[in-house]
Amino acid sequence: MNATSKPDPSAPAQEPAPRVLLVEDDGKIAQEVAEELESRGFSVRHERTGSSGLSVGLGGNFDVMIIDRMLPEMDGLTLIETLRGRQVSTPVLVLSAMSAVDDRVSGLKAGGDDYLTKPFAMEELAARLEALMRRPNNTRETMLHVGPLAMDLIERTVTRDGVVIELLPREFRLLEYLMRRPNQVLTRNMLLEDVWNYRFIPQTNLVDVHIGKLRRKIDEPGATPLIQSIRGTGFMLRIPE
Amino acid sequence: MSLGELLRTATFRLTLAVVAAMIGAAALQFSLGYSQTKTFEFLRSDMLLHREAALLEGEKPQDLEHKIRDRATDDLRVVINQAALFDAQHHSIAGDLHKWPDGLVADGHVRELTVWPTEDAPYVLRILAVPVAGGRILVLARGLHMLDELRLMMRHSLLVSIVPTVLFALMTGVVLSHRALARVTVMHEAIDRIMDGDLHERLPSGRERDEMERLAGSVNRMLDRLEHLMDEIRDVGNDIAHDLRTPLARVRARLDRAQGGTQSADALRGVVARAIDDLDQCFSIITALLRIGEIENARRRVGFAVIDLQEIAADIVDLYEPIAEAKQIRLDLLSGNAPVPVYGDRDLLIEVLANLIDNAIKFTDAGGEVSLSVIRYGDGARLEVADTGIGIAPEERQAVMNRFYRSDKSRHIPGSGLGLSLVSAILRLHNAALTISDTRRRESRPGALFGIVFPPVPTPAPPPA
Repeated sequence: MNATSKPDPSAPAQEPAPRVLLVEDDGKIAQEVAEELESRGFSVRHERTGSSGLSVGLGGNFDVMIIDRMLPEMDGLTLIETLRGRQVSTPVLVLSAMSAVDDRVSGLKAGGDDYLTKPFAMEELAARLEALMRRPNNTRETMLHVGPLAMDLIERTVTRDGVVIELLPREFRLLEYLMRRPNQVLTRNMLLEDVWNYRFIPQTNLVDVHIGKLRRKIDEPGATPLIQSIRGTGFMLRIPE
Repeated sequence: MSLGELLRTATFRLTLAVVAAMIGAAALQFSLGYSQTKTFEFLRSDMLLHREAALLEGEKPQDLEHKIRDRATDDLRVVINQAALFDAQHHSIAGDLHKWPDGLVADGHVRELTVWPTEDAPYVLRILAVPVAGGRILVLARGLHMLDELRLMMRHSLLVSIVPTVLFALMTGVVLSHRALARVTVMHEAIDRIMDGDLHERLPSGRERDEMERLAGSVNRMLDRLEHLMDEIRDVGNDIAHDLRTPLARVRARLDRAQGGTQSADALRGVVARAIDDLDQCFSIITALLRIGEIENARRRVGFAVIDLQEIAADIVDLYEPIAEAKQIRLDLLSGNAPVPVYGDRDLLIEVLANLIDNAIKFTDAGGEVSLSVIRYGDGARLEVADTGIGIAPEERQAVMNRFYRSDKSRHIPGSGLGLSLVSAILRLHNAALTISDTRRRESRPGALFGIVFPPVPTPAPPPA
């Protein structure tokens, strides 16, 4: 893997590698996923069947699980339901070739925390895993402080180094999402799904245009750019050290 | 066709039922007629017996005995079949009954009794015994042989009439069944040919407008539709193959070149990135096709609820405004703030609006306008997306809804050609009607106007009592 896909630079260096349980019956995809995730500093345990996934999932102490929907011996959804029934609350990303809205809903209802359809980009998978492991803190705080940015959720105002930035409501919503997940790759699909609550893939570069407008307001010329584009994947609100 | 086959036809079974009904009706008629006659005959016999007894009671004992003895030559014989005179101890004095019949009581009431003469077979009599002068008993009886004869006659006439009728009906049944079976056999053969793959074959249907012809007509219309759909599927299959082939060929060529050449690491990364873009295009086509298939198959409407079209329109305008702005196009929402309720799936309707607005922006040049309006329309709602772009020619308005259709004018604009198919599939699921017309807001360009009429929001069913 190339140099851009290092583990998250903001993570403390001594922290043990996050443990991932991958339950997937297709050997080739599993190998690709495992290699990619390992190159990003994850430690991956791979299981091929639903029942072996269950026994390993119940025993091991994993940080996140990736579970394919269609598995031999035990179906993916049953596996998740069983895990949830045994009080395993590890975040689960459901992986599936089935993309219908109904399939998505049933996947989430069974206890999955996120849903990714095949084919997927490795960047998308990695970004979603990171997001799952650091679930946004939905605390009732009224102020967000990220680097030079400050956001007042009650007054709906944003300042950068104390200078007020005028934002439209949609720009405010987008920035709030970014500020709650600093230093984290956010894919276009994640933004569409979570910020706008849309479940379709637009043909135009919708997200890029919105980010572009926000960026022009946040990153004045000469200032350190905070919103960064990750090529081929999405965006990140990068906070300088 | 075999006899067994013939006898199993619905027509023949119907004939059998008719025959059974005929036999039943005749039997009923016979028994009703017979019972009427019997009642009448009994009444008549009893009346005769009483009348004769009254006449004879008045006779002197000698005259009465004489009359009884001479009865054989008397006209009494015709009316009264048997007459006898007994003493008080039931001993025969005169007449043709030599033994007092069992069960006979001299009380002046007519009885029906069976007498058992020693030399002859037993027979039934309507019999009356009355005391007469001199302590004697006069017994008068009338046989039922006339009634028996009548019954025999009626039975014979019934059989004589019913047998030919039944035979005639059965013959008609066989002929009709044969005809029906022959038509069905022809249809079976046609169906066999269709199942063997000859999709142009149709069931024979002549000019007779009976139920068989109408059924054949319906089946033929169904086959027309199926054939049309199969053609469409084949065309779509070809189109998919074609549309996927192009980007895949590009990927292959790029990878081929990258493998053989001596390119730098940066150049190789560029090749890989472009290959991924091409593959993504393939996936977007496949995803769109799957979505259309899913929506067209999904008669399920799990996600349906009453939603505010106005709110969705405002959301979409908000989402696309920056894009329009970047292309220097004015994007307006031309409607009030009042909610416009429709019954539908929010995600799917957003997809419809996004596709239409996306298209409108795509086909409108800088300085143009795109507008979206939502109004209440009767009990339903009407939504319009208008642009000042190149427009759609009237002859192309139907075709743009088809999968992969791309107007010559739009060939240079990127897209899968599936957006409007998706839109029309979703609208069909919502029972909404889509029309395409001109906007004519500017002289030089027609502009396209997509008008969608949504049906009224269904009133919720009353809760079960």
